[in-house]
Amino acid sequence: MSATALDRDAAVQARVVAALAARALRSQLRRAQFLLPAFLLPLLLLAVIASGTSAARHLPGFPSTGAYVGFVVGGTLVQGALLAGLTAGIALAADIEGGFFDRLLTAPVQRVSIVLGRISASIALGVAQASLFLAVAFIFGARYQGGVAGVAIAICIAAIAAGGMAGLASAIALRTGSLSLLQNLFPIVFVFLFTAPAFFPRALLGPTLRHIAVFNPLTYVVEGIRGALHASAALGDPWKGLVAATGLLLVTTVLSVLAMRGRLRAL
Amino acid sequence: MSAADDQRAILVEDLVRTYPGGLRAVDGVNLEVAPGEIYGFLGPNGAGKSTTVRILTTLLRPTSGRAWVAGHDVVAEAGAARRVIGVALQEAALDPLMTGRELLRLQGALHGLRRAQASERGDDLLERVELVDAADRRVGTYSGGMRRRLDLALALVQRPRVLFLDEPTTGLDPASRAALWREVRALNADGTTVFLTTQYLEEAEQLAERVGIIDRGRIVAEGTPDELKARVGEPALHVDLVDPAEAERARELLAAHGECSHRRGGGLIVRMSGARAIAPVVRTLDEAGIEVDTVEVETPTLDDVFLAVTGHAATDDPAPEPSLSA
Ligand SMILES: Nc1ncnc2c1ncn2[C@@H]1O[C@H](COP(=O)(O)OP(=O)(O)OP(=O)(O)O)[C@@H](O)[C@H]1O
Ligand SMILES: [Mg+2]
Repeated sequence: MSATALDRDAAVQARVVAALAARALRSQLRRAQFLLPAFLLPLLLLAVIASGTSAARHLPGFPSTGAYVGFVVGGTLVQGALLAGLTAGIALAADIEGGFFDRLLTAPVQRVSIVLGRISASIALGVAQASLFLAVAFIFGARYQGGVAGVAIAICIAAIAAGGMAGLASAIALRTGSLSLLQNLFPIVFVFLFTAPAFFPRALLGPTLRHIAVFNPLTYVVEGIRGALHASAALGDPWKGLVAATGLLLVTTVLSVLAMRGRLRAL
Repeated sequence: MSAADDQRAILVEDLVRTYPGGLRAVDGVNLEVAPGEIYGFLGPNGAGKSTTVRILTTLLRPTSGRAWVAGHDVVAEAGAARRVIGVALQEAALDPLMTGRELLRLQGALHGLRRAQASERGDDLLERVELVDAADRRVGTYSGGMRRRLDLALALVQRPRVLFLDEPTTGLDPASRAALWREVRALNADGTTVFLTTQYLEEAEQLAERVGIIDRGRIVAEGTPDELKARVGEPALHVDLVDPAEAERARELLAAHGECSHRRGGGLIVRMSGARAIAPVVRTLDEAGIEVDTVEVETPTLDDVFLAVTGHAATDDPAPEPSLSA
């Protein structure tokens, strides 16, 4: 193939990915059973955790002026990202079971584009969620010392993490094609979440959990988000967060592409 | 592949598909479809129709054998094959949360159309399948007939050269069925090759120029509907007389025209040796002063054909499961 033909093909595939992402986003936003967990659940947990206590000033590295909700919202962002990613997998499994996936497979599109469309949609969903959560927390007293840049970086990290989780969930959906299996993965999200210092600083975790947290990429994601939001190196390193989220995204994208290949081979 | 294969819209050679567990759903199918032809693939539940369609539309890999669509090998050149086919599967592959218009635009994008082109094409097709009013409603609220029509429109977005329709009229009311038949004929008149599966003998007879009858994964008969019917036997003439008492005299007179027998209610059945025997039969009776009430020609249906070639009726109790391979 000539260079121009390659370019043309790349442009067509980019349009295909965009169209698939727009469609995935749209049908995900229209499904109440997806919106509830992805948007409402994290906000509820935020309210519950932030309401009882005002321990903010005792947290190492946390600005003394901030409300505790400003600390907790970092965990809310990560929780939202995980749920956004998981619902992407559920939606993909629903496509497979419902037959819509066959329509995509009979179209002359790169199989990779089908996976990338799904993951891109979750990144976009992640941006929407993180913005909402940060705004709600702001209304309830959270202040972001990192300013606009810090908020933007935090949203960015959260959205990439959402894509990473979508990759993982999509890989599972493509391997199993089972909607009910994916739906039963909700508890796993919380295992991921609570083996990272999502709502408490790492120093306050028990010794076992603290060891596990070191190996959970979400630890760096949530700490990076907090560091960016509050411009505090003691809370976390935004770069580490960005690297961890991006690494997760790359690895799980590869996993889902491999899962797609495996699925097609077994047809 | 030889150049001659390019002359055929669909070519299938020794196609076999075994499902996990050893079931040979497609068991050595060979067929050819010429460009511009409507090919009817007729068979009862579980015969292997959908499995064949899924292989031809690149959704399933053959266990052995090969198949080409518009000259493209459906395994080795699946991408090229996908560019020239349109598919409406048995279970309409629709997203209930999207609207008809959105789905058509997405389908356009999947086939490389730009946004404006995709919208325009989508709007044209909405009109063609009479879904303009429902275009912005979610597909989940569509009736079965509307879903079928949308599914057909989606299959047409890319102006396919070869269109696969897997039981397109199952579950449709007679009016919708007739409308879909008209649409299929119009598409075919525009040069589209159509591969249509059906359980309805009437549908195959109405639409298809050639019919392949599949039973338990094998093609058991193939030909034009007329050829297939000719295999079963000659048409029969049902004659009702005004005065049934004259039936015996009439029978004696008509014996010259073919095998003649009495029928319940005083009429006669004449199995004619030639197709053009209606006029002589009526004339003979007329000349003898026997008044004829009604005359009906009964030609064998594909039902009769099916019974003759498979030994069981198409619509009777389902065929026994295809044999398991060793
Ligand atoms: N995924 C599958 N796994 C195992 N067996 C299958 C699978 N799909 C179909 N079969 C079996 O293969 C045989 C042929 O099925 P197929 O769907 O091709 O029949 P069909 O002619 O389309 O029938 P129908 O008119 O009911 O749609 C059936 O016995 C069916 O049970
Ligand atoms: Mg079928």
